[in-house]
Order: sequence, then C-alpha cells, then structure tokens
Amino acid sequence: METQTQVYPRVTVVSVKGRVDSTSAGDLEAALKKLLDDGKSNLVLDLSGVEFLSSSGLRVLVTTLKAVRKTGGDLRLAQPSQRASDAIDLAGLDVLFKTYGDREAAVASF
Amino acid sequence: MKVRSGGASLTGVCDYVAAAASASGFDDRTSHACQLAVFEAVENIFQHGYRGDGGEIHLTAQSAPGALTVEIVDRAPAFDPTRYPVDPSASLREAQVGGRGLLMIRRVMDDISYERRGRQNILRLTKNRSFTGV
Repeated sequence: METQTQVYPRVTVVSVKGRVDSTSAGDLEAALKKLLDDGKSNLVLDLSGVEFLSSSGLRVLVTTLKAVRKTGGDLRLAQPSQRASDAIDLAGLDVLFKTYGDREAAVASF
Repeated sequence: MKVRSGGASLTGVCDYVAAAASASGFDDRTSHACQLAVFEAVENIFQHGYRGDGGEIHLTAQSAPGALTVEIVDRAPAFDPTRYPVDPSASLREAQVGGRGLLMIRRVMDDISYERRGRQNILRLTKNRSFTGV
C-alpha cells in the first residue's frame, strides 16, 4: 500500500493505492493519525487506486471518521474503485461516509 | 494450500481464490468478492480462533463452470460462523467494525456451511451466481 498526501488550505487529500488489509492497515492508520495530530481534520480519502480493502482497512476508516467528527471535521471519500466501493457496501458502512465521484467535488464539499 | 499467519501468506490466499474463480468462469468483480470473503474468513480464524498465536489453515478450492467452493479447515476452538449474530445496520456511535467480516462473507457467498469434525472446524463457502453488488 502507498499513500500520497496533498495539503490544501482547508482540506487534506490522502490518495491510497494498493492493498489495504491487516498487514498494511496499521500504516494507513499511522499516516491518518499524524494528520489529525497536526490539526488537519477535514480529510478526503482518494480511493481510486485501492485494489483490495478488507475489514481491517475499513476499521481504520471508521476510527478516523469518528476522530475527525469529534473535532468538527469530516472524512469524505473520493472516486472509490469498484473494489473499494464493493467492500464498503458489503460491510454495510456506505451509510457512514459521504462519497464523491471525483476528488475535486470532494474537496469543494468542505 | 496451507496458510500461516503473516503478510505474504495472506496475499497468497487472494491469488489462490482468484485462480479458482477464474477457472469457474467468474468475472473480475465476482472473483474479487470471493477473494474478500475467503480472506475475511481466514483473518477471523487467525485473529479470533487462534487468537493471534500462529496456527495453520488449509484451503481447498473446487471449481466447476459457474460454481466455486472453498473449504477452509483449521484446528482452533470450535466456532460456527453461520450461527453468529451479525447486525447489518451501522451507526457511527456503535460502529466498531467488529463482525463486519462475517457480514461481508454472508453477503458475498450463496451458501455457507459449517461442520466440527474431531478437532477441526470445516467451513465451506460456495459461490454459484455472479456478484453484482449488495
């Protein structure tokens, strides 16, 4: 798994690529926690490059969503791949996230 | 195939299921759903059955045109995932994501059966329809 971060004035976009499962979820969690610690609580996760998303990865998304909402921010999803989208739907977690078809729309939503 | 806990071995589970799903003639989306279901089942066994303390799991896939069955055998304490209650609803206050793996397995697979034979848990996951979404 690889992550790439782009910081905008009000929003931070994290692009996630590859497999997010039990072996890589910890890395994603650490990357997102660092952003939170830096006071960045308006987050967009670009999931277009995600090839596999297991419940371990979903756990990180939900944990981060809870954390940013506590500080008045939000975690929104941009252009999830079919595989990421299926995993989120199968886990019944689609109702928790605002999802946008492209990252520009997700960034503009804040 | 034989699976031990650890990164490379778990990725191998997906490759193994992908090859079997391809032999059954399933499309990429259905193949991915099957990979996810089997992966979640295997992870559950390592995390909750063997309690993160190693252990070994045997996978056997049977492919026929339009049908795939994966048998998952382990020696962890008895656990019947077909009888475990799963709540499909999610609210942010309550969502702990625990049990989400089981929900994913049930939503993907068309038939799930469990048997305890001696000291073995035997879980059979069957897919015989294309996956087109939840």
